Amino acid sequence: MSTRPARITRVMLGEPRLYGAAIGAMVLSSLLLYLAPLVPQVVIDGVLLPSGEGPSGFERFILSLIGGAEFIGNNLWWAAVVVLLLTAAAGVFSYFRGVWAALATERIVQRMRDDLYRRLQRVPVGFIDKSETGDLIQRCTSDVDTVRLFLSAQVVEVARAVAMLIVPLPIMLLVSPLMTLASVVLLPPIVIFAVVYFKRIRSAFLDVDEAEAALTSTVQENVTGIRVVRAFAQQQQECEHFDERNGRHRDLDNHLYRVLAWFWSTSDLMCMVQKMIVVGTGLVLLGMGKLEVGAFFFFLTAVGMFVWPIRQMGRILAELGKAQVAMGRIDYVLGQPEESDGESGQVLDGAALDGAISFRGVSFAHVESMPVLHDIDLEIKGGQTVALVGPSGCGKSTIINLLMRFYDPDEGEILLDGVDLRSIDRASLRSNLSVVLQEPFLYSRSLHDNLAMGRRDAEESEIVEVATVAAIHDSIMQFDEGYATVVGERGVTLSGGQRQRLSIARALLRDPAVLVLDDALSAVDTRTERAILGALKERHHRHTTIIIAHRLTTVMQADEVIVLDEGRIIDRGPHEDLVRRDGLYRRLWDIQHEGMDALGEGGT
Amino acid sequence: MSQGTPHVEDVLGTVDRRLWRRILGHARAYKGAAYAMMAGGVILAIVESLLPLVTGLLIDAVIGEASTSRITWLGVAYAGLSVSFCVIVWWFIVAAGKLATGLAHDLRQASFQRLQELEFAYFDVQPAGWLVSRLTSDCRKVASLMPWFLLDLCWGATFLVVVGGGMLLIDWVLGLCVLAVVPVLVLVTIFFQRKLLRSSRLMRKTNSELTAVYNEGITGLWTTKSLSREPENIGEFQTVSQSMCNYSMRNSIETSIFLPIVTSISGMGVGIALWVGGVQIQDGEGLSIGMLIAFMQYAVLFAMPVRELAARISDLKGAQAAAERIQGLLDREPEIADSEEVKSRITAAAAGQRHGSAADGGDHRIEAIDFRDVSFWYKPEEPVLEHLDLSIAAGETIALVGPTGGGKTTIASLLCRFYEPCEGGIFINGIEYRKRSLHWLQSSLGIVLQHPHLFSGTVARNIAYGQPEATMEQIEAAARTVEAHDFITQLADGYEFEVGEGGSRLSMGQRQLIALARAVLADPQVFVMDEATSSVDTETEHHIQRGIEAILEGRIAVVIAHRLSTVRSADRILVIQGGKIVEQGSHEALLKADGAYQALYRRHFAGS
Repeated sequence: MSTRPARITRVMLGEPRLYGAAIGAMVLSSLLLYLAPLVPQVVIDGVLLPSGEGPSGFERFILSLIGGAEFIGNNLWWAAVVVLLLTAAAGVFSYFRGVWAALATERIVQRMRDDLYRRLQRVPVGFIDKSETGDLIQRCTSDVDTVRLFLSAQVVEVARAVAMLIVPLPIMLLVSPLMTLASVVLLPPIVIFAVVYFKRIRSAFLDVDEAEAALTSTVQENVTGIRVVRAFAQQQQECEHFDERNGRHRDLDNHLYRVLAWFWSTSDLMCMVQKMIVVGTGLVLLGMGKLEVGAFFFFLTAVGMFVWPIRQMGRILAELGKAQVAMGRIDYVLGQPEESDGESGQVLDGAALDGAISFRGVSFAHVESMPVLHDIDLEIKGGQTVALVGPSGCGKSTIINLLMRFYDPDEGEILLDGVDLRSIDRASLRSNLSVVLQEPFLYSRSLHDNLAMGRRDAEESEIVEVATVAAIHDSIMQFDEGYATVVGERGVTLSGGQRQRLSIARALLRDPAVLVLDDALSAVDTRTERAILGALKERHHRHTTIIIAHRLTTVMQADEVIVLDEGRIIDRGPHEDLVRRDGLYRRLWDIQHEGMDALGEGGT
Repeated sequence: MSQGTPHVEDVLGTVDRRLWRRILGHARAYKGAAYAMMAGGVILAIVESLLPLVTGLLIDAVIGEASTSRITWLGVAYAGLSVSFCVIVWWFIVAAGKLATGLAHDLRQASFQRLQELEFAYFDVQPAGWLVSRLTSDCRKVASLMPWFLLDLCWGATFLVVVGGGMLLIDWVLGLCVLAVVPVLVLVTIFFQRKLLRSSRLMRKTNSELTAVYNEGITGLWTTKSLSREPENIGEFQTVSQSMCNYSMRNSIETSIFLPIVTSISGMGVGIALWVGGVQIQDGEGLSIGMLIAFMQYAVLFAMPVRELAARISDLKGAQAAAERIQGLLDREPEIADSEEVKSRITAAAAGQRHGSAADGGDHRIEAIDFRDVSFWYKPEEPVLEHLDLSIAAGETIALVGPTGGGKTTIASLLCRFYEPCEGGIFINGIEYRKRSLHWLQSSLGIVLQHPHLFSGTVARNIAYGQPEATMEQIEAAARTVEAHDFITQLADGYEFEVGEGGSRLSMGQRQLIALARAVLADPQVFVMDEATSSVDTETEHHIQRGIEAILEGRIAVVIAHRLSTVRSADRILVIQGGKIVEQGSHEALLKADGAYQALYRRHFAGS
């Protein structure tokens, strides 16, 4: 617990000068705001009501500052001007207070957002895989907003409440210690009540948040799964399910309103009683002639000015915990280790790269979601095409992930052109390997931009060329806006096959030394697949190619086929050899190839 | 590009009163709470405006050494007003809760109901995120603003009238002088509220952009790293975060100017009261000290209702887009729904349920399906299906093969009545299917899609999705039929394994198997499988082939697949190309025919 406040103050200390200036401006503005009601007070006491003992020494001092009793008596408009000038001057300071505090907050928050994003780009993919996207986004958005609100509004609010209370105290004490006591006597209970009450009803807030989250995920699931809902004619049940959550959320939310109604009315009452104490005490003193009317007016105004901010302060203190929790959630992300651990690796020269890959005694186990690999030995010559085959979960994709250095092997080493991957600069390694995933990600921008993502300086003709190789050019031209068509959330939805072909084109544009197709043709029909593979073959000499696929017709043209099962290489060789041997490959081939006899001669 | 994101200039428009009256119409059930709010506002304003007056009278009474009974009476009045203030606060918050939460609930309920009825074409154009925020944040925004709008409208108006009128009554010269600042106050407030509304709208818009960029940064991380694109991404993010910072600053600066100006205007009112009232007192014109103090307090208070009213009106403008979106959703009539005639038959049939008949009184059994001269298009100049004729007899399994984009999935979607033919008709047992109940048709079909959606929850719950009352034995039997039982029992909690949002904790192949089991359990009359096993590995697919064949036995089935091994066993294979059936027949017959199918088959297995 004791380390928690340190977090939030550490963040605040990021802009000490701006915050210092803002606090200074705030003190000045509240000082002026209090001086403004002093003017009517001394005018009433010293000029309009020259009764009894007359104005006190302090009041005579103030009066002399603005021109003296006689001058004011003859020129009452001047008092009005002074009041206006004082409030305007207070306004100027409060403007600076607002702007400086906002500037400090926004700078801190912007830095925090940038840090979060940068960190999320640099963490290992394993972290993203084991995290929920929604949860991470919430940490980056609503948790940051909570901290922002705390910094911009709540810190300022607390400081303002304190300033509003502290600033008039000397004057109040000077004028009447007894009235001062009467003015602040209920403040501690007001603050304590707020803090205790909000602490106790925190669970009510959490309940509403949870109910709302449940509501949102119900809608989310229904909308994304609407086809299944309809396909099973479950609309009625879905409505009932939603109604239940919706009703629960309403009841909890309504309960929260009721709980808050008690808080606001009770604390209003306490504030009102505080005012009543001032009025009552003041009236008694007034009746006894121990208080001037102007001073009474001043106390009344002062209580009206600080009692509400003080009540707010209590609520904010109670909510301090929220900002700390949010800060902790943000720190969790910022505390994740980055992928590149500082080592300055070797930078590869793409053009000179041969693309030879060797796995030497590679074993890998420790990531839960990934299949295990045992003692993998693999030699791929530059320019060769190699296919990886095996049932789901046999470790095909893990090999690719190790090659890309998304993970590092537990044992053994992987070499590219004879260089251990671990001594190669990560970015440089990845820009020379192109992987096309089964479910490729497209950025929500134009098709052209998505393609050019691999190589910024690509020319229009090159983009069209790779799109043609990947058999996506014709589909692109069918869109109204051609290459300028925007895809994703805000644009056109592409089919799985179109996305795969697009990302193949994107990978080709980079002209990498090594091209990896990780089940990247699964959603493409056989004819298109054949066209793509044919076109790739023509460019064959340019890349080392690794193909992962379920369809054996996809892999049969590879120079070598590696058969994996349960994380081990169980067979390898060209297609022709493998089909002749008894084994997994042959079995798979037979299953896929059944009925081939119907064609009589089969094959080529 | 940003459909649904309201244009910033919108906020400068006027309040659409018709729209808001319609929204208010949804709150009819909470009329009591709404009136309670309004009454609360009026009473609150009266109490608040009386408080300074009573204070002033009290001061006068004490200075003027009035009778003790008068002082006591005024003191009691003061205390009474203070306490009733608190009671009203309690009262209107409770009423506000009832109205806000009830209205939000009802709007959500109606919107959700409507979403269940709308045709798929609607979901094709509306991203899921937009629909979700309609039901969550839009409803919250509109509903939670409503009570405070009603309250402040009544409170502000009453306050202005009572305080203004009161001041004029007490001393009309002084009253007019203090009221002179009001027009300035109103103008300044309107000016700044507009500015603030605009900048906060920009902030919100940038904020959702920020969320989108985070989302892309996280979900696209694999791809980003593959392309080693991290530095560019970070640079692009910083552009967005910078503009977020700029808009927030703009908003803060505007607030920082606005509030001091309002305070200064109030200060001007106080000054005027002091000056004019002071001169009156000096001249002995009858104004008392207490009244002068009351006047000065009014001058300060006057800014409040003006500010609140302006703020509520800009709330209304700010939420107008949300209100329009909700009302737009509620007003949207489903394009695919039971006709009036079908509805009346359903009502009639419910009265005298015949055994063996469907809810709409027609045949329950599906004996034959006929596509007659069916054409379909999204855009008339690009037909997807052209004059398609297709008859499927009872118990027949047909397979649709052909290149991507040929129209196979469209045929399946039309059969499921996810879409309706643009021309021609689909007949079930000789009756056009638009004359039958939609619910009956869809609950008679078992549909398995290529990208199956699983709901978060357990494996068992997902398999039982169409049959919530199924027993564990039935669920397991269905899983065994599609060879899913083995992998399920190997999961951490077996059938109680939580599949995660959208099934994310399972591989695509595993999801497909569960979706298949789900369809098997539903025991439909007609199976529609669109690439249902495309991600299942070869051996498993081979294993489930027999199970599936057993299930399809005696039922109508429409199967779409790329893998020819999957379709070989169909009774009839149709090759669909360019929206037409180019060839059909049994596997053996088609292979001999030396046509499109044979070419497809050769390509599939052979090298070139």
